Amino acid sequence: MPEAAELEQRLADIAAAIDWPSTPPLAGRIRARIAARPARPWFQARWAVAAALALIVLAALLAYPPSRDAIASWINVHTTFNRQNVIPTPSPPPSGPLGERLGLGQPTTLAEAQSRLAWHIVVPASLGEPDEVYLQMPPAGPPQGEVTLVYSPRPGFKTSGQTGVAVLVTEAAGQPDAQFFGKIIGDGTTIEQVTVNGHPGYWISGRPHDFFFDDANGNVRDETLRLATNTLLIDDNGTVIRIEGDMTKSQALGIANSLS
Amino acid sequence: MRPMEGRPTDGELFSRAQRGNEDAYEEIVRRYQDIAYRIAYVITGSTADAEDAAQEGFVKAYRALGGFRAGAEPRPWLLRIVANEARNRARSSGRRHQLELRLAEGFRPGEAAPSPEAAAIAAEDRRVLLGLINQLGEEDRLVIASRYFLELSGEETAAALGIPVGTVKSRLSRSLARLRLRVEKEAHA
Repeated sequence: MPEAAELEQRLADIAAAIDWPSTPPLAGRIRARIAARPARPWFQARWAVAAALALIVLAALLAYPPSRDAIASWINVHTTFNRQNVIPTPSPPPSGPLGERLGLGQPTTLAEAQSRLAWHIVVPASLGEPDEVYLQMPPAGPPQGEVTLVYSPRPGFKTSGQTGVAVLVTEAAGQPDAQFFGKIIGDGTTIEQVTVNGHPGYWISGRPHDFFFDDANGNVRDETLRLATNTLLIDDNGTVIRIEGDMTKSQALGIANSLS
Repeated sequence: MRPMEGRPTDGELFSRAQRGNEDAYEEIVRRYQDIAYRIAYVITGSTADAEDAAQEGFVKAYRALGGFRAGAEPRPWLLRIVANEARNRARSSGRRHQLELRLAEGFRPGEAAPSPEAAAIAAEDRRVLLGLINQLGEEDRLVIASRYFLELSGEETAAALGIPVGTVKSRLSRSLARLRLRVEKEAHA
């Protein structure tokens, strides 16, 4: 048997001696073919289509609050997804259920709402039982949920705009974020620190639209004030309560002091 | 990439071709048509099939330029596409062509001029050895031809054979062992 090295040498010697068939004139023909049908534009390339579809899916997931929150939770981003509930201000004529119009969540009863919340709902004795109760749970609502008590007009309390509502009392776990009060003030709005039953509060008069508070997870939450009227904020020891309505400061404080 | 003075490197030509420059692609084809055609010929054993495979392979490669990774070696990438095309053609045609590599008439190695008798013996040796290679299975003759006759690198051989680079060495040594057996048999015939 010949040595491997010897065989390899003989093979190498043959290389130069091989009579290869002559190469046909490929370059010209290939040029003609690619000129007749140029390279695919990017949108026909499979990878580009796949990438575009992935972006569309991602955008759709981020646009939809439940999946956006889930993604935020997976990637451990907790502070950058502020939500602003887009709700009509009092100007357009109301239509549809009140909770939907004002973005308050699902209609419920006090007892049922309480059964789903870890914190205690307070009710203003001066106004009595609310006419309607709404509950907004995450992901649309803040962590640990948000409850809204709706009061229709009654003696001494006017309707706010065209909402058909006189007073809204909204409660959520968290605390007012004074660092954003600068964003609330403006456009004829003033803010005044008050005390309600020993708890710090803020009387915001004018037409405030935005409201910021630190939710139960410590994230800043940006919400729209439903009635865009005078608002009393109360830092009720872990629960942030806001009382909105077309009313005076003493009326608001009267409601606040009757909360229990 | 084999840069030469005064002419663009393969990488430069590929970048231009990726931007739709047909002249650049034509130059790429000119550089590689010989080697591509020969690989296709060794795989298919037919000049007609090799021509079709090389042409189709180059056109497909042009359409696939968008997927060519900048900085990668263009030559193995191209040769792999042409070799795949040749294999597909060999399979789908259903015909089995016997590869017939030949020696050039009157070939003289560049070394010291041997006597006419010695030259005749050497030429006969080469003819016999090439005949044995032609009779090997496709896998064996392809790896031997790629390494020794086409002088492809390991990566290019892997591309031509459609196998991972890591298995080229073992494939080659198995094929050489089979060739040695045939040479041995022939010597004792």
